[in-house]
Amino acid sequence: MPVLDVLTSGQLLFAALVTGSVYALVALGLNLVYGTMRMLNVAHGDLVMLGAYAAYWAFSIAGISPLVAAPVVACLGALLGYALYKGLFRHLLAVAPADAGRMESNSLLLFFGLSIILQNAAAMLFTPNNRAYQYLDEVWRVGNVAMTGNRIAALLVAGATCIGVALFLGRSTAGLAMRSVIERREAAYIVGVDVDRVQWSSFALGFGSAALAGVLMSMLEQFSPFSGFPFTIAGFIVIILGGLGNVMAGLVAALLLGVIETYGVALTSANLRSVLLYGCFVGALLLFPNGLLARRSTRS
Amino acid sequence: MALGMVAMAVLPFVANDYLVGTGLTLLMWLALTQSWCVLSKMTGYVSLGHVVFYGLGAYLMVVSWQQLPFMLVVFGAGVIAAAFAALVGLPVLRVRGPYFVILTFGLAELVKFIIMAAESASGTASRILFGTPDLVVIYFCMFALALLATSLLTWVSRSRFGHGLRSLRENEEAAETLGVPVVRFKLIAFVLSAAIPGMVGAVMALRSTYFVVGGVFDPMISITVIAMAILGGGDSAKGPVLGVVFLFVLQELLWANAPLLYMIILGAILITFVLLLPNGLVGLADTRARWRAQRAAAGAKP
Amino acid sequence: MSALLSVRGLGKRYGGLTALNDVSFDVAPGQILGVMGANGAGKTTLFSLIAGNSRPSAGEILFEDLPVVGLRPDQICRLGVARTFQIVKPFPSLTVLENLRTGAMFGHAQLRRKADADLACLRVLEEVGLLQMANRRASTLTLSGQKRLEIARCVATGARLVLLDEVMAGLTPGEVAQMIATLRHLQASRGLTLLVIEHVMRALMELCGRILVLHHGELIAEGSPTQIGENEKVLSVYFGAHA
Repeated sequence: MPVLDVLTSGQLLFAALVTGSVYALVALGLNLVYGTMRMLNVAHGDLVMLGAYAAYWAFSIAGISPLVAAPVVACLGALLGYALYKGLFRHLLAVAPADAGRMESNSLLLFFGLSIILQNAAAMLFTPNNRAYQYLDEVWRVGNVAMTGNRIAALLVAGATCIGVALFLGRSTAGLAMRSVIERREAAYIVGVDVDRVQWSSFALGFGSAALAGVLMSMLEQFSPFSGFPFTIAGFIVIILGGLGNVMAGLVAALLLGVIETYGVALTSANLRSVLLYGCFVGALLLFPNGLLARRSTRS
Repeated sequence: MALGMVAMAVLPFVANDYLVGTGLTLLMWLALTQSWCVLSKMTGYVSLGHVVFYGLGAYLMVVSWQQLPFMLVVFGAGVIAAAFAALVGLPVLRVRGPYFVILTFGLAELVKFIIMAAESASGTASRILFGTPDLVVIYFCMFALALLATSLLTWVSRSRFGHGLRSLRENEEAAETLGVPVVRFKLIAFVLSAAIPGMVGAVMALRSTYFVVGGVFDPMISITVIAMAILGGGDSAKGPVLGVVFLFVLQELLWANAPLLYMIILGAILITFVLLLPNGLVGLADTRARWRAQRAAAGAKP
Repeated sequence: MSALLSVRGLGKRYGGLTALNDVSFDVAPGQILGVMGANGAGKTTLFSLIAGNSRPSAGEILFEDLPVVGLRPDQICRLGVARTFQIVKPFPSLTVLENLRTGAMFGHAQLRRKADADLACLRVLEEVGLLQMANRRASTLTLSGQKRLEIARCVATGARLVLLDEVMAGLTPGEVAQMIATLRHLQASRGLTLLVIEHVMRALMELCGRILVLHHGELIAEGSPTQIGENEKVLSVYFGAHA
């Protein structure tokens, strides 16, 4: 496709928006979980994968529309987050700060272990084959942009959820409490925030949005037990570029990532989708070697 | 350990091909894990991208097959891998803690996808090597590499260089303020740790003869190396031997019939050891020895 | 060479914040120079600049007549400067002896062989009273022990100039007295020059022959302990009125 055609294509813009909005949803969840825990949850993408499978089974077996299943799956994800927090992560967070540096590297390995278990357990239970289903794929046309119903739905749901959560964090007291714990946990304790409650609600909200993103993704692409990981990577890119705890900047970064991926693939080839994704990932980390903390540092 | 070395050295003369092949794989994991420890155990910079050197070495062997004598290519693979490490080392090592971990992972994946795209652009889906050397020859190459890796780790562990690495692992700022040239030492460790997996990759390409990009850049290789090192524990050459043997036995038992179950167990081992036994089996043995010494001392008091 | 350390017009700005402004002083060899000032006065910043942990925005620093601005911390240590940190930074899972070994091997002394390094380290441990802890992990030490460890590590480097950042903080009066004695002994037996940041007045007055007073990043007074105790500017800054 000639370059100018590519750049002005409404079709591609729409595709980029859809991809970006799903990434934004995934990054939102990761932001909350990482922000409160300060541990890089590399298993986040696997929750997206589980959400996708849940929607798939709901549709294939019971004929339930994914849009109806979405809130249920999201709640199940939230419940899983709550349970994992109470059962496992609360203890991890109580580790003495002197060891915190080493703990952080090792905690990553822990989540890798979790991710391996989730992916392979899913492969054992669901077989490793790709899955897909057709839903809402009538095409709507606006100008010369062809949009399928499922993509429009995904964009709307993801967009609405992100904006809703952004408003919650920005406008409500509970949201303020959450932001304060993300910013500086010790200070939040001192001003009387119920940190434990904030933490498990962050987890619930984080895992729930990941599961929701999975439901949306299941409508759009085929997936397998191992599809989750690219979403984790995308989530991290968005957080690194947009900054920790900064939901609005995250939204922008996610859309940017969607644009880079979609337009990049169109301008070059589909083979380069992963190259672009990981290239952005490596680039973002090299540009911000202190990760996210230094960017929001208010230390003297 | 000396006994083990002798046993491995005579293996090809007494055992059948299947056992030799198994021994070869064991030596491979040993070489990979020991070389990983040179960087990650000594400096605390946990690399999750060790496979990138392996893959580069394998790729080099495959593209230069029958154009150059294979021993030269093996050696060249080590040089190329080390050069790659030298090239990316400075910016990559500026990244700390968990970010370094995911960065190395991402870097390995990036290289993998770039090579995949290159192969696909030239229309190659996979490659096959014909006329590769005999199994015994390959075995002894790997034996030499495992020996080299173990010697390297042992030397680093006991040297002044190694002490500098440990110091920067414990507290990088303090180490630098005490005179340790931290940037230079980190880079040297990184480059040293890269050469051997490069050569291992080249040798293994000869062994498997069937090359697919995804296979030689498989992140599970990186993760398995880490699991073996964590299982073994410690920052000397002893730990990896324990970890490699243990996981290797597990792998042999399960891989043929229940590979997914093996992966799940691997994941569980990672979790268990990171949470409960961060110093691995070596640490466990040390703690038990200290316990016994303390109890003996206590018992000796009137 | 007259002064061991010479600081001229030293300044450090972090964005809009001026941490140090036009600070100049000399330190003669063998002196114990105290640095005092309220929190945020710029004392630790001064140490960081001298040791190379950060770069000045202005001014120059000469150690043994060599300009050291722009050198890395490890290079400056090899020249003969060592510092402690306000929040101690031990090597937690290494033993006390191994902690010192790093200094002896890589610092000014450059004792590259383990045997030579350990011998020197054991001597230092004896002088600071940590000999019996030599094979214990650094993480098992009490705060007082870890502060001694920080100092011992610096001494083990064979440095000529040691920067001590609030080594008395958190110590009981008894421990403070012990520390003062240890520091005096180290200075005498090894001909060290010490720069001492302290809030504990007693330590400053007893140890130091000369004291610098920093306030909001500027040097407002310099002199003997008695002179400082009577200096009007210092008194008004600390007490708000004439004494």
